[in-house]
Amino acid sequence: MKISYNWLKWYVPEAPEAEKLADILTYHLAEVESVEKLEDGDSVFDIKILPNRAHDLLSHQGMAREIASLLNIKYIDPTPKYKIPESKPTKLIKTIETPNCRRYMGRVVRNIKVDPSPEWVVKHLKSIGQRSINNIVDATNLTMFDCGQPAHVFDLKKVKDLKLQVRQAKNGEKITILGGAEKILNDTMMIIADDYGNALDIAGIKGGAYAELDTDTTDIILECANFDPTSVRKTAQALNIQTDAKKRFENDLSPELDWFGMLELSSLILEMCPDAVFEDIVDVYPKKQEIHKLSFSTERISNILGLDVSVGEIKDILKRYNIEYTESSGVFEIIVPPMRFDLVIKEDIAEEIVRIIGYDKIKGNIPKINFQPKLNETYAKIVWARNKLMNDGYSEVMTSSFRNSGEVEVLASASDKNFLRVNLADGLMESYKLNKANASLLGVSEVKIFEIGTIFKKDREEMRVAYNAGGKTTEIKLEDFCKDMPKDFTLESGSWNPEAKFKMWSLFPFIARDVAVWVPENVKSSDVEKVIKENAGDMVVRGPELFDEFKKDGKISYAFRIVFQSYEKTLTDAEVNEIMGKISKKIIGNVGWQVR
Amino acid sequence: MKENKKDNQQKGTIHPLSLLAEEAYQAFADMGFEIATGPEMESEWYNFDVLNIPANHPARDMQDTFWIKDPKSGEKTPKDRKVLRTHTTGVTAWATEQAAKNGRIPSAFVSVGKVFRNEATDATHEMQFFQIDGSVLGKVEDGFSLAHMKGILTNFYKKMLGDDIEIEFRPSFFPFTEPSIEVFAKFKGRWLEMMGGGMTNPAVIRNIGLDPEKVQGFCFGGGLDRIAMIKWGVPDVRLFYQGDLRLNQL
Repeated sequence: MKISYNWLKWYVPEAPEAEKLADILTYHLAEVESVEKLEDGDSVFDIKILPNRAHDLLSHQGMAREIASLLNIKYIDPTPKYKIPESKPTKLIKTIETPNCRRYMGRVVRNIKVDPSPEWVVKHLKSIGQRSINNIVDATNLTMFDCGQPAHVFDLKKVKDLKLQVRQAKNGEKITILGGAEKILNDTMMIIADDYGNALDIAGIKGGAYAELDTDTTDIILECANFDPTSVRKTAQALNIQTDAKKRFENDLSPELDWFGMLELSSLILEMCPDAVFEDIVDVYPKKQEIHKLSFSTERISNILGLDVSVGEIKDILKRYNIEYTESSGVFEIIVPPMRFDLVIKEDIAEEIVRIIGYDKIKGNIPKINFQPKLNETYAKIVWARNKLMNDGYSEVMTSSFRNSGEVEVLASASDKNFLRVNLADGLMESYKLNKANASLLGVSEVKIFEIGTIFKKDREEMRVAYNAGGKTTEIKLEDFCKDMPKDFTLESGSWNPEAKFKMWSLFPFIARDVAVWVPENVKSSDVEKVIKENAGDMVVRGPELFDEFKKDGKISYAFRIVFQSYEKTLTDAEVNEIMGKISKKIIGNVGWQVR
Repeated sequence: MKENKKDNQQKGTIHPLSLLAEEAYQAFADMGFEIATGPEMESEWYNFDVLNIPANHPARDMQDTFWIKDPKSGEKTPKDRKVLRTHTTGVTAWATEQAAKNGRIPSAFVSVGKVFRNEATDATHEMQFFQIDGSVLGKVEDGFSLAHMKGILTNFYKKMLGDDIEIEFRPSFFPFTEPSIEVFAKFKGRWLEMMGGGMTNPAVIRNIGLDPEKVQGFCFGGGLDRIAMIKWGVPDVRLFYQGDLRLNQL
């Protein structure tokens, strides 16, 4: 989520400078993925708010409250400064006819003027990547990004008899949403409608075009509501609509937030339209959010963390976070703040404490675990099979589990390969062909490969072993392959070269050349190899490798293979011929040496 | 177990991820862990529900899942509906559950296995890759804690990446752990995200039939391919699954 530093500073003027703040947040709250400097001097954080804090942190005020508590600095509450309009009696009627709406708050405002927004509003929205639309729509967006409560506005003249209801849609009911697309609804979806069957809004997700504001709009209805997260999520998924409101509702907001949303929205509209006439807020809130209490002991928190936390430290944190508590002999009982749906069990408190005091305070130590591990037979078989095949000269490969055809299909793959493999042999054969073409590069005369892996049949999966020598594949069940495995087989500890490094191969084609040389019997192959090496240049990726030698008539023949390849280009025959020519010339320069 | 002599033309070469898995298992075996294995086609229950990731919860979006096509899936329960496992966390959870049923508490399991994610591939993303997962569970009196997890993982990454490695925890969220952390390792001067983990969520402990007031523990999991890429400098995760023997250099 994008958070503007300058916007934050309205509420936490003592916040440290942007880069430092980003670092603190990453270690104590959530990863700051980037800090972007804007031309006007503002910095914008992109913060990966964790799902368990999406209830209260997807807003500037939410973030500011967290920062103030985390750093124990002053938080300036904007609420007392909101302009409170004078309010007149209203005829607005709102009804909730679905259990998926927890609170529905509305307010009629008359005599507004739809205009461009003031400069500061445009700037605020722009800083977090939002486009200014008009003063009224911007006020709803500003409210959402500032306090976290999504808000919506209807054109009053479209709402017949001033009656609004929240209900489940009828199967086949249609709505044209803002932007013009038509959506067909069903009875799992919740909408806002008038009493005449007009769907005005897909609840918590997207407004409808029917009651959209236009430049002539003078009277409006403000809406701040609270909807069931699962209902909103399912509907948005089914209709394939992603909005900032949906993102907040699906993460479960507190209905208590509606009040703050309405307060802020009213104040913003009054500021932008000083002549607006406000009516009383209509608040349908059938079941007030319950107060949750949570109890935990200092001892258990310390036990979970492996870190001695004191009663004093916990008290300090609770105070900073404005959490009411009682404490007796190290046992706390707290009243969970209404927005903090993430605080449910004592483990949540353990997390809260350790992230605030810092994970670096935890010092690692390896426990003694009173447990007698058994041998895992499947894994033992895999290791035994692998070692056996490697000892027989086979090298291990892994190929894709996905194929173009098979017995088990996956839904909606990101690739065109939607089936799971029914054998290892097909993949292994492709691997064989690839490696066969590279045989001289690999320095092998015969390609021998194997794979141990899972294959998928209609109603089961199976571990298989497949090995391929010279293009001929054998594939059997792992357990059958391992029928000669000794009963007392155990896993031994291995040793590896800690200094080993991988060298990426060239993606350009290679050229392999052979050279055979007659030399007097007393000349060693290494002497010839030396001459070749010295004259082969820097394109040699393999060799010279001696692959043949024989004696005849007091002379000896050595045959070498050299593989050339460039990391920068495709080598031509002419280039390699030139190198080979140079090598030949050097060889025949020795008395009694001749190139065959 | 593996001599892997490059000079011996007779012996075949090992795939780097197998080599790494063997070493990883050894590192955990030395700390008292038992190896756990499980199916690649997992029930929705063990891949999600048991781990406190209910249907229609945003947490399911954290992993792009391959669902197995099944015309009858609508009639089935999560215990019968199949997915390609998106992590091996379900394997260690299952092993911990079985151990507890046999009175084996405390227990410590580690699992390395192939997992699947339904996402577009690039140099750092592949539809299949390997994950290493661990779970330690004991009685509350055993006091298995975040500090123990840090000790175990620090030791593990030292074995994998060298003794000069540093480990730190950062805040995170997973439905199956609370507190949840992200494990970062400092390798050659850079902090790299390696793993996720935390104290096993009481909901998970209940789901495997145990009482969170009596037992507690931790679990963790992360990519094995990633360790291999960092350790050896393999530039592209897709190289691991192309059947190309030029990969077997290690």
